[in-house]
Amino acid sequence: MIQGRRMSRRAFLRLALLGGIAAGIGASEWLTRPAGLARYLHWAGRGQALRLNGRPAVVALGHCSSYADVADALVEAWDLADMPDVRGKRVLVKPNLIDFIEGYPITTAPEVVAGVVDLLRRRGAAEIAVGDGPGFRRDAQPVAEACGLMALLAARKVPFVDLNYDDPRPVATRDGWFFDTKELWLPRHVREADLIVSAPKLKTHHWAGVSLSLKNLFGIVPGARYGWPKNLLHFNGITPSILGLYQTVRPVVAVVDGIVGMEGDGPLFGAEVSHGLVAVGRDAVAVDVTCAGLMGFALSEVHHLAVARWAGVGQAERIELRGAAADPLRRSYQRPPAT
Amino acid sequence: MIHRFRAAAQVDEPVRLPYTFPMRSRTEVAAKAFLLHTQNADGGWGYAVGHASNVEATAAAALALAGDVATGVPSPPALLAPAPLAPQLWGERGADRGAEQAADRAADWLVAAQRRDGGWGLVADDPVSGWQTAWAVLALARLGADEAVLRRGLAWLLAVQLVRIEKAEDVRWMKDILGIDPTLRGWPWLPGQAGWVEPTALALLALAPWAAREDVRPRLDEGVRFLLDRRCGGGGWNVGNPMMFSRPLPARAIPTAWALLALARVAPDAVREEDVATLRREMDGDRSTSALAWGLLALRSLGQDDRGAADLLMARQAADGGWDNSPYHTAVALRALG
Repeated sequence: MIQGRRMSRRAFLRLALLGGIAAGIGASEWLTRPAGLARYLHWAGRGQALRLNGRPAVVALGHCSSYADVADALVEAWDLADMPDVRGKRVLVKPNLIDFIEGYPITTAPEVVAGVVDLLRRRGAAEIAVGDGPGFRRDAQPVAEACGLMALLAARKVPFVDLNYDDPRPVATRDGWFFDTKELWLPRHVREADLIVSAPKLKTHHWAGVSLSLKNLFGIVPGARYGWPKNLLHFNGITPSILGLYQTVRPVVAVVDGIVGMEGDGPLFGAEVSHGLVAVGRDAVAVDVTCAGLMGFALSEVHHLAVARWAGVGQAERIELRGAAADPLRRSYQRPPAT
Repeated sequence: MIHRFRAAAQVDEPVRLPYTFPMRSRTEVAAKAFLLHTQNADGGWGYAVGHASNVEATAAAALALAGDVATGVPSPPALLAPAPLAPQLWGERGADRGAEQAADRAADWLVAAQRRDGGWGLVADDPVSGWQTAWAVLALARLGADEAVLRRGLAWLLAVQLVRIEKAEDVRWMKDILGIDPTLRGWPWLPGQAGWVEPTALALLALAPWAAREDVRPRLDEGVRFLLDRRCGGGGWNVGNPMMFSRPLPARAIPTAWALLALARVAPDAVREEDVATLRREMDGDRSTSALAWGLLALRSLGQDDRGAADLLMARQAADGGWDNSPYHTAVALRALG
């Protein structure tokens, strides 16, 4: 037994320092829950690097006042945006088909989807499918039929896939945004696609601020596994789920239907906005940041885009705009109801 | 091989429906042939032809075929002591050897797919039990599974955890914004989440035969209250959000059909005319196989029909005998028209 032995001042300071470091790490770990300190630092460092030294992302804008002219506008924007070569690839086009309610511009216009399909076919895509898995409708097909999409796809002999039922299997999640699971069950056409074209309707959203190409990815989560709505995404958090899906299923490119947008009480009951915008890009974060800006939203108003910028999920800072001039396309969308 | 109770002494009287659907035998035979030909080698069915076997499609197909092999209700295991199952939901018809064998294999697949916790997931190797458990219990009770299998399935349904919000401030907020009472427990799609209309309706149907049990009755009653709370303003149901930001959301055909099937079984007095009117309107607007078939089944459970919807459903049958290249849709359509 050791008695009467006193701790030296140096030893005491060392002990205090170590204790302070341990307490700091513990506090940081606690403050960065549920991601954890290591993941948090990784995201922050990657975001800083992308903002300072990342390659600029190209976003092409098209000004198109009518859906009758959208095919040409899409081709022009696609070429300007340096989009990936689709020759020989399997491509899934993912429109927003969350629901159909007469009189509301909820879904991606079928002309836009058809225009993308035609473009992909002309560029040599080996297989093209169009699909969605609505969160509030058990079946996607009635929505696709009601909005007129099925007729256009049938004329082109392009299959429509209900992603809610498309043989889901587990896929490892990437980048740590799903906090309670390391795998996500995803539909066959999502798993097997070489490229996913997220083709959303440009609109406001009462939970996410805006619903664009990133939020549109909620529709790839299969209801057969996760239910209607996909409650997993709400419990994981809207922002981490949006970013986690984007990171897990990449490559995703964006073609935004903003010819007629929706403002106010989106994503279902908002008002129509004749915007005349088509936006195309291979970095969906850059496209969404651009579109949100053209809707009149500051980045800080759209949490998932602000976090995407901070974490370097995509290029939100250095964006090279091509095509139509941005200023005539700027609007001030009415905000969705406050949560 | 599961133990079957087909030769049981206790047999229900056939249900006398006040009408008949116009299913021609050729349509029915073709639909059965489609199901028999699309059964996977492992005994199950997928949502589409060629897809991996999953619990919902397999249970639905087995129940559709069991309508041919079972002339009544299986003898209940003594301990579980269920009341008769809902014959108006699944019908009873003459024997068919091919259908009987297919249903046997499907039942075997379902039994093998049961997880250690007593529940079922999406597919046999799903590591999480979920809403499909109610489907498996419904099917295996009808097909006459071992008592232990059913007992474990029931236990899972009764014990599944879900979010229950009770903090007064949060409850008030959810009532204002979503128009729901979050203190009520329904059933979730997956454990640990919120309750929703369809899994609740399914669980009520699965548990209904055991309504007399002390541990089942309170849960059934709360499930009924949950469904009534989630009813949309003009009648009918959607996924379970009658409002969003104080704005009414529309009812939809399939959740309305499920809720009506459940209420017709466990609380028929709670069904309102406006629910049925909403169902008819949404069936007419939706016109998908699922909406028409589930809608017709719900109407049948209430002693009603819709000949126009039945004709539309029949017209959707493909030349191969199936609907939408989907064993699941075909199974539901077969039962709806049968």
